[in-house]
Amino acid sequence: MMALVILSVGTGARGAGAPVKNPDTFVYITAGDVESLDPAYAYDTTSENIIWPTVYETLIMYAGSSTSSFVPMLATQVPSLANGLVSADGLTYTFPVRQGVHFHDGSVMTPEDVRYSVLRFMLQDRDGGPSWLLLTPLLGTDATRDSKDNIQVMPGQVAKAVTVSGNNVVFHLHHPYGAFLSIIAAWSFVMPRAWAVSNGDWDGSLGTWQKFNNPKVQDRFQFDHMNGTGPFKLESWDRQAKQIVLVRNDNYWRKPARLARVVVRTVEEFTTRRLALQQGDADIIDVTRPDQSKVMGMSDVTVRDGFPMLILQAIHLNEKIDTTGNPDVGSGKLDGNGIPADFFSDIHVRRAFAYAFDYAANIRDGYRSGGTQPNGPIIQGLLGYDPTAPKYTHDRDKAIAEFKEAWGGKVWDVGFKFTETYNTGNVARQIGAQIIKDQIESLNPKFKIDIRDVQWSTFLELTTRAHKGTMFVLGWAADYPDPDDFAQPFLGSNGDYGKAIGYNNPEVNKLITEGAETADPAKRASSYRQLTKIAYQDVPSIYTIQQTSFLVMRSWVHGWYFNPILPPPGQNPGKDYYTLYKE
Amino acid sequence: MIAFILRRLLLLPFVALGVSALIFSLLQFLSPAMRASLYVHDPKQLNAVPDIIRKYHLDQPAYVQYWDWLVQVVHGDLGWSETARETVADAIRGFFPATFELALYSFACILAIGIWLGTQAAVHKDRLLDHLSRFTSISGASLPTFVWGLLLLMVFYGHFGWFPPGRLSLEADLFVRSSRFHPYTGLMTVDALLNRQAWIFWDVFRHLVLPVATLTYFLTAVLVRITRSSMLETLRTDYVRTARAKGLAQRVVVDRHARRNALIPVITLASLLFVGLLSGVAITETIFNYPGIGRWGVNASEQLDIPAVTGFALIFSGLLVLANLCADTLYAFVDPRIRLR
Repeated sequence: MMALVILSVGTGARGAGAPVKNPDTFVYITAGDVESLDPAYAYDTTSENIIWPTVYETLIMYAGSSTSSFVPMLATQVPSLANGLVSADGLTYTFPVRQGVHFHDGSVMTPEDVRYSVLRFMLQDRDGGPSWLLLTPLLGTDATRDSKDNIQVMPGQVAKAVTVSGNNVVFHLHHPYGAFLSIIAAWSFVMPRAWAVSNGDWDGSLGTWQKFNNPKVQDRFQFDHMNGTGPFKLESWDRQAKQIVLVRNDNYWRKPARLARVVVRTVEEFTTRRLALQQGDADIIDVTRPDQSKVMGMSDVTVRDGFPMLILQAIHLNEKIDTTGNPDVGSGKLDGNGIPADFFSDIHVRRAFAYAFDYAANIRDGYRSGGTQPNGPIIQGLLGYDPTAPKYTHDRDKAIAEFKEAWGGKVWDVGFKFTETYNTGNVARQIGAQIIKDQIESLNPKFKIDIRDVQWSTFLELTTRAHKGTMFVLGWAADYPDPDDFAQPFLGSNGDYGKAIGYNNPEVNKLITEGAETADPAKRASSYRQLTKIAYQDVPSIYTIQQTSFLVMRSWVHGWYFNPILPPPGQNPGKDYYTLYKE
Repeated sequence: MIAFILRRLLLLPFVALGVSALIFSLLQFLSPAMRASLYVHDPKQLNAVPDIIRKYHLDQPAYVQYWDWLVQVVHGDLGWSETARETVADAIRGFFPATFELALYSFACILAIGIWLGTQAAVHKDRLLDHLSRFTSISGASLPTFVWGLLLLMVFYGHFGWFPPGRLSLEADLFVRSSRFHPYTGLMTVDALLNRQAWIFWDVFRHLVLPVATLTYFLTAVLVRITRSSMLETLRTDYVRTARAKGLAQRVVVDRHARRNALIPVITLASLLFVGLLSGVAITETIFNYPGIGRWGVNASEQLDIPAVTGFALIFSGLLVLANLCADTLYAFVDPRIRLR
């Protein structure tokens, strides 16, 4: 009887060409949760989807689908060498501020508001937050505090980093930084200083910012209150129902949006999201690749696929494993029953794994063919991407040859055994882990890899603080569409992954610095091409997939355009609510 | 009886202390980095883990963290819940009414159907009604909640569009948030009537139908079997045989003589069911996207949101003490032979 019920339900209840439900209201149902509405605090994609460019705006914006050309937004011009708004030495960027723009509370935006907002963004600098994005180019440091939590930024530095000159806001960089406009386009949110101060926030004076540094999420009024210049303003945030409602800003400085209201709701259960889409109670929903087949063929639903995202997944090979009390390394020695701490420090071991991995199967089975194999951390869509650069292919013979060289031949003779981890619930990574296990074990019966899923909390412990992870998969999504945002974390010795796996190549560090601090795009591109070559030679990580994303929406949604940097960038691309409408 | 009640209520603070101490002692098994994962959601934040540990004092010994927490609680602060994105107290205040409302309607249905069906099954033992109740019990007990819930959702929402998930429709939600609506109790059905907004009442009712149906089907099973078993035992007693011998109608024998005595074990189970409904319907709340305390509790546990888990445990241990107290008090009403001392 149950089977009959299921079969009779079908995949669609509403007739084809059904009338538009809630024509003025756009409903996006996501699986993620909002962390904070404070643009200086939020560093998660779900929060950013609300913040930018919907409620808060930046000085410049990406031009449509482009990630390398910009249009003016709260500034009236995009600085460049040609118009003289970028100095010849690349250290000064001048933004003429647009006049007559109103915040949602009715006050008028001034250059002082811009300066305040940028400084606030930098100096709030909460642990694990986004402040480093502007701190690094403007103050030459990625943190306002040292490792002992002492403030290490001087008021004088801050004072001269961002200044106001007439109607212009001027940024004085610590060093030339080719990606600076990219960062400004995505992270220079503007809020009114008076509003912030009247609600208990920093008053903008250089003697007091330290008291407002590194807050907890709930310490700031802006955590759950918003006041920007964007086409929508916050109406409510219901934390029990996990729903945010935005209403149209009818005093927007451009033509008001077509939608009257945007609702962003969190629904963790996929079936519930899908049914809402089917019923027309949702206009766009989050869908993972494994669930994609369940939305194909739904009536009045459009699925658009193949959008190249600036997201890279990689298998990281830890060259300095902490073997103390570490069950994942077995005996802790190269004796066939374990691996030593420096097992992956041998280049032949790393190359062997790189040749053994079946990239095509991983993309096909783990990501439903939603991606391409990258040739390094500088992926397609970024400056310096080199489509001709070599990449590892699945080649059993080469893998065997490398293993026979590894550790003077001992690896092949004696074998090894270790455990690989992935975070629970991540099906794609589970499949990737299984692939590598199967491929490696098929080369030599003395090779044994166990796989283990662990909760995110344990995964974090293993891979970072404790450095106990042997081999693990973690990805990276762009903060801004620039190769520096990938080169540093993957290859820098102090980068997120470089540090976690003990990779340290001084030449790489030098090239990363050169690429970041050069204004000339051609020279930058050359640095990143060299980095790609070294990444291929050194194989600190195995780059498994540059993901593509797909969008699932009701057919009555129009006005969507793709830009990989619009939030939330993930398996489903981001959206700009300003351009959306339903009919 | 008053003394009995007071004695039981005096247990509450000790239960709270015991439960919270247990939770904090279990912290010994969680490394600071594991606890830091509550604040770290993205690989980009990995380098911040040591700073986060320092900032939130996650590397302090468990007894130090417990003492700090106790001092906070004494000042009326249950702490901040990262998973709820608000204070633990506000989160409980926000989530609890929704779960209470769901639990109340579900409990009423479970009691009504469970006691009636169990009684009838006992009275009509081995006949059609008994077999029907057995089938209901077995299917209710063996079908997982999430399967049943999803089936109901697919049919009655996905296909017919009658009973949507969530607590309110968008339109009703916007109205409820406006100044035109005053939340008196937090129970939407009650508040809708108090605000004289019948359409809101029906909106909430529509959203309650499926989760209530899911919980009722799942939990009635247990109550039916206990009621049946208890009724059968009572129906075999001498005094019931005497009542029948006196010529009393079957309905009078069952309703006035047998059922009351058969209710003792049912009361025990019912009290546990009610507390369970209040605290443990996470799966149902997740499937129906119902903003309740169970879903929050599970999220908090998964993400090691210790203030939330502790606050949640405190509330429900207190509720359990109260539920047991109510059950014990009810025994005395149901069976005059029982005296509360």
